[in-house]
Amino acid sequence: MAKYKVNDSTLVSQYIKGNEGAFEELMNRHKNRVFMAINLVVKDRYLAEDLMQETFIKAINTMKSGRYNEEGKFLPWIVRIGHNLAIDHFRRAKRYPTVIMEDGSSVFNTLKFSEAPVEELQIKKETHKKLKSLIQELPDAQKQVLIMRSYMEMSFKDIAEATGVSINTALGRMRYALINLRKMLGQNNVAYDQNFYPE
Amino acid sequence: MTKIFTQNDVLRYLYKETSVEENIEIEKTLLFDNQLRDFYTDMQDVIDELSKLEIKAPDRIVENILEYSRSKHIHFI
Repeated sequence: MAKYKVNDSTLVSQYIKGNEGAFEELMNRHKNRVFMAINLVVKDRYLAEDLMQETFIKAINTMKSGRYNEEGKFLPWIVRIGHNLAIDHFRRAKRYPTVIMEDGSSVFNTLKFSEAPVEELQIKKETHKKLKSLIQELPDAQKQVLIMRSYMEMSFKDIAEATGVSINTALGRMRYALINLRKMLGQNNVAYDQNFYPE
Repeated sequence: MTKIFTQNDVLRYLYKETSVEENIEIEKTLLFDNQLRDFYTDMQDVIDELSKLEIKAPDRIVENILEYSRSKHIHFI
């Protein structure tokens, strides 16, 4: 079943024809995913905000000038723009965002928690804080696939295309990311583990 | 012939990327394959935790972008 009544391609076509509402809908659908993708690379919230703005402006200019090439999907296209801008930023600054471990909190400092009863909130906060930190400890390739699949809702096929690997490689990276996370969660005695795996 | 499913197949199943036919076969396999079932359960737990995290693009930036788009709007007479 289709997720939306009107697909992204139709919205892009409507936007190019002058329907501003169509662009607003595209923004609402994908803003968080694009922001997450950029954040993943730059690990700095304020820089990610600037680059997100730059990404969408570039996309707007491309679409408005009739240079948008409808070969792929909108989301992978715009995520790629954001990713390239982020890489360009580090090239200009003559440094690459390779290993920035610290405590990892900067990348996910805009993560919010779902609603929960008060008595569960503290445990959830602790678990989520730990999880966010552990995600940062994953190897870059695994982290990239995990973020793309979990938060950008890209299929493994889309991820394989976007990252230039086979579907099996993308699946393998995701598998190791999840296995590693689970191991790390267990080692850190995170509450969820005890709940699901009583001794 | 019975197809042998791998952990990658179970991962696709967890993310709802398998066909209806595959779903039936994988669910049958999970009934008797303890190792694959353990893998399924373990991964499901982590995926559940990950799904509770969410990132939100700042409203201020979103509004800037929409404003830019509106400023580029061409009015036809």
